[in-house]
Amino acid sequence: MASTNGKVPGGPVLSVEDLAVAYKIRGGEIEAVQNVTFDIQRGEAHGIVGESGCGKSTVTWAILNFLGANGYVKRGGIKFLGQELVGRSSEELRRLRGDQIAMVYQDPMQALNPSMRLGDQMKEVLTVHRGLSDKEAEKRCISMLERVYMPDAANVMHRFPHQISGGQQQRVVIAMALLNNPALLIMDEPTTALDVTVEAAVLDLIAELRRDFDTGILFISHNLGVVARVCNKVGVMYAGEMVEVASTEDIYKNPQHPYTQGLIRCVPKLGSDKASSILYPIRGRVPPPNNRPPGCVYGPRCDYFRDRCREERPELRTLANNVQVRCHFAEEIDPTQWQPSDDLLPPKIRQNGGEEEYIIQVKDLKKYYEVQGSSLKDVFGMSEPRYVKAVENASFNVPKGKTLGIVGESGCGKSTLIKTIIGLEDSTSGKAEFLGLDITGDLTTRTEQLIQELQMVFQNPDSTMNPSYTVGQQIARPMLRFATVPKNQVRSEVIKLLNLMRLGANYFDRLPRQLSGGEKQRVGIARALASRPDLVLCDEPVSALDVSVQAAVLNLLLEVQAEYGTTMIFIAHDLSVVRFFSDYVAVMYLGQIMEIGPADAIYALPYHPYTEALLSAVPIPDPSAKQKRIRLEGTVPSAIRPPSGCRFNTRCPRRHLLPDGGKICETETPPWQEDERGHRIFCHIPRETLLTFEPVIQTKERAV
Amino acid sequence: MLVKDVMTRHPIMVPPEMSAAEAQHIMTENLIRHLPVVGDGKKLVGLVTRQRFAIKPDMMVSLSVWEITRYLSNLTVQKIMLKAKTGEVHTIEATKTVEQAARVMTEQKIGCLPVLDEDGVVIGILSEIDLLRSLQEMLGLPTKGVRVTMRMPNKKGQFAALTTALSQHDLGIMGIGSFPTPRQPDYYDMVLKIPEVTVEQIREILSQVPEQEIVDIREE
Repeated sequence: MASTNGKVPGGPVLSVEDLAVAYKIRGGEIEAVQNVTFDIQRGEAHGIVGESGCGKSTVTWAILNFLGANGYVKRGGIKFLGQELVGRSSEELRRLRGDQIAMVYQDPMQALNPSMRLGDQMKEVLTVHRGLSDKEAEKRCISMLERVYMPDAANVMHRFPHQISGGQQQRVVIAMALLNNPALLIMDEPTTALDVTVEAAVLDLIAELRRDFDTGILFISHNLGVVARVCNKVGVMYAGEMVEVASTEDIYKNPQHPYTQGLIRCVPKLGSDKASSILYPIRGRVPPPNNRPPGCVYGPRCDYFRDRCREERPELRTLANNVQVRCHFAEEIDPTQWQPSDDLLPPKIRQNGGEEEYIIQVKDLKKYYEVQGSSLKDVFGMSEPRYVKAVENASFNVPKGKTLGIVGESGCGKSTLIKTIIGLEDSTSGKAEFLGLDITGDLTTRTEQLIQELQMVFQNPDSTMNPSYTVGQQIARPMLRFATVPKNQVRSEVIKLLNLMRLGANYFDRLPRQLSGGEKQRVGIARALASRPDLVLCDEPVSALDVSVQAAVLNLLLEVQAEYGTTMIFIAHDLSVVRFFSDYVAVMYLGQIMEIGPADAIYALPYHPYTEALLSAVPIPDPSAKQKRIRLEGTVPSAIRPPSGCRFNTRCPRRHLLPDGGKICETETPPWQEDERGHRIFCHIPRETLLTFEPVIQTKERAV
Repeated sequence: MLVKDVMTRHPIMVPPEMSAAEAQHIMTENLIRHLPVVGDGKKLVGLVTRQRFAIKPDMMVSLSVWEITRYLSNLTVQKIMLKAKTGEVHTIEATKTVEQAARVMTEQKIGCLPVLDEDGVVIGILSEIDLLRSLQEMLGLPTKGVRVTMRMPNKKGQFAALTTALSQHDLGIMGIGSFPTPRQPDYYDMVLKIPEVTVEQIREILSQVPEQEIVDIREE
């Protein structure tokens, strides 16, 4: 309900007061969270952002008493609906919280029991807590599933969790959380594992539910764009402390704390590219809780560091505009006057050379996987073979020293495409040439020299690094294997690479477990570069990293490209990152490239209807931006039986623009419409009509 | 305007086993006057109001100093609450209208109604304060504008005449309420809140409406 006089009726749902959480460890204890204070009113969504290791999740665990055997609330209080939670027995807590607090976590599969039908899991909530009859509970569950826009809700009740998609699983979890009408919903990175299009739909849903159920939401995310879309208040956490608490508008428009300002500078804005803008990573990293600096914890990373910051710990104080900030000099700091300090050199950008020599040329490349059926006919090999058409007729060229970005939802074939190029898979048909050499076969058909020229950077550096090899050994291995460097110079070459990665020679003998996520990814990049390849394929290289580290790794990749003239194919699901990093972009849907061309052309009119939908789903870290709301209906169809004609026709929001409601989209394969800059759109709708669409995103600075 | 639009959702609730002293503490600390008591699955079992904490005088006479301590330490919410089972607690469904709720409260002379869903689960609470807040909103208090009271005979077409007069001058109404004129049968008073306009303008427009008179006009 709208409050009439600024005061929300009934007091806050959750009130955290001067909270400190400590973990007992050998030889003492460490305070993971200190002096955290915030309130959540009814129907309010309070976001918490910050890098990993800042204590965001610890706060939620303290609320739920999930701190584990060695964790405890050291100081302060947590009040839920006016009653103190700290210092109570777990039985008392269970009764007090009852079914009034619900949680939604990042991975829906961990919240769902894989061996139970979804209906049974959901009904349990009502039959156990409320004592409803089975039939009544079933009716409630179905209506709740419909409330979260689950297609075919009655049917979903009989399925197992693995039979529905990730976005749908998360919806089931949210529906389950809301069945008991909780007063507080705690969401810890609820959309991080989802595709942008699904994420947008889930975020819309959360905003709507907050309004309808008056539920207070504590929303934790590292993505500033997501928080801007859902929350009305944001707290920024750094090293276990709240450093700034303000309304969403104020945080994005007028950040007061240097850390908040730094975070916002780290994220590429949608529509900006590497030539016109620079990402400024925050130097250093979050100090471990047992080794926090004296005075201001952010001091060592702050550009405005003065003597007073070292001597005196700043308190969280309220400024004139009702923003709470933990900084001595918040009033004096003007972010528009900010200058990068000397150690933050902007990366060199490779200048556009005149030559347009293609390093890789792909024409009509196909990759089909045969599906093994289970009928008797299949076993004897008598039935028609069926195929998953993972990549269909992919054609593109990448000039030397340029970057091609590939975007699309999960399952659209972007990873298959680069696996085929690098040789982990052979291709079914089509042509692919790398420097004039045929690369349609898999690794067994390739020469060692060819393998050396194509290298890859993976998404998860943890699982691609041998934990028992030192950093130096890992980077040296490709050098020795391909004999690109004489044996006696390997060590100096590795150190040269480490220096380029800003890691330094002392990292040579470290093991992967002694590195942070960002450092591991740098080692991954160094290893890919060790054989001096001409083409590096990057599969989501930054999506597992924090924003400040992401900015640093992106800058590093740019520098590598400037230094060695490496060509890159770059996969990412974050459209702002792809726009920033790439010269050319390909948009894929269900194995088919839908639109390809220079990056600026993809993100401006005319768009393919699918690109338009993707762009409208991107969370933008600017609450004042106007974004068109296009949500795709249904799920991605099966790649075994892709829709006839245009593969996007079953979900296309624009096909009604064509005569007969777009009948042609079902019957005929669309033409490639190409302009003079090489921007190609795979759609029946004429280019002139596509040009009449409104731009998807309008901000004060630019329209995208 | 229905109960579900006006009520306070997710009210503070206590279990029946809680000690009365703690319940009182919760009420004072959170500045609330009513405390629904719920059992498993948030089903209503009773209601505690501030009056329930008063010890009856005849009881006080019979208690000695030593007994008071014991009496108080054994006092649970269950013992002092109004019990739902015996019909001492009046409740309302979320889909009922605000005026129906107000009627129950005035007839029973009570300060609050727990709001239940069809299973007897507490989903909110409706107190006098909530109703008074809805009255303010109905009459458009939060926004600045001209508040005018028109007296009109109880005939068809009177309200239409009033709104036509306003719409001809491109004015909108943001709050409205009407009630029978006290001691004057066959007349109604209607209160309107009109934003972005001056008292003089409204006086000029509305004095033209036949059969009606301006009883009160002010800026608020």
